[in-house]
Amino acid sequence: MTLSARAAALLVPFALCAAPPASAAEDPALLKDLTAVLMLLAMPCGGVLNAVRQADNAHIATCKDGSRYRVYVNAEGRAAAQKL
Amino acid sequence: MRSAALSVLLIAAGCAAPADAPRAQSATPADTPRAQTAPPADKPRAKVVPAVARPAPVAPAAREAPKPAATLDVAALTERLRNTDAIGLFTKLALKNQLDDLLQQVRAQHQGGGKDGVTALRQPYDMLVLKVLAVVQDGDPSLARTISGSREALWGILADPVKFNALA
Repeated sequence: MTLSARAAALLVPFALCAAPPASAAEDPALLKDLTAVLMLLAMPCGGVLNAVRQADNAHIATCKDGSRYRVYVNAEGRAAAQKL
Repeated sequence: MRSAALSVLLIAAGCAAPADAPRAQSATPADTPRAQTAPPADKPRAKVVPAVARPAPVAPAAREAPKPAATLDVAALTERLRNTDAIGLFTKLALKNQLDDLLQQVRAQHQGGGKDGVTALRQPYDMLVLKVLAVVQDGDPSLARTISGSREALWGILADPVKFNALA
């Protein structure tokens, strides 16, 4: 194994660990959108503080009051929220 | 005594006279010609002042009238909501879902017959309009004003079976 290959084998895991998670936690537009959706769905929230993207069209939203919701688009194409 | 009583009566009669008369009576003798000419002068003034005052408030009201008249129909409202940047995708989808639900309920009431059923949907309709205003007013005040001004017109379309069926 060459030196460069060894260096790459050592550095790649660190690079992956240092990479930012695949989420949109700090996007204010997304937080506002999720807050509005929960309000429209009559889910008590008080405002979304953080959101983590799980998959396409699905987010885990953390609210000011501590509640957490999974906001997603269901099979019928409707916006839905499930309390976690 | 009698003359004093008569003078008192005359003074009292003068005080009880119509408003114009005391002014003319209280005016100085030098003003009596003016008092005589005052009524004719007042008449044109009375005619001119309202004529000058009234058009001024009417004009800005007439200018402002076209703005609230820009009401939306259901298709235009849907298009405006779809294109606005004030709300995100999830919110637009949720609003669309709730609007579709309301339209389905209205359609069912029209097909079932009876105006009372549609009347019962007025409250859900108002709630939906308030929700839309709540999410839109910060990011798109113009759209919020238009929606608010179109509230009655939109309900008129939904409540009328002929107009509602024309939407489809």
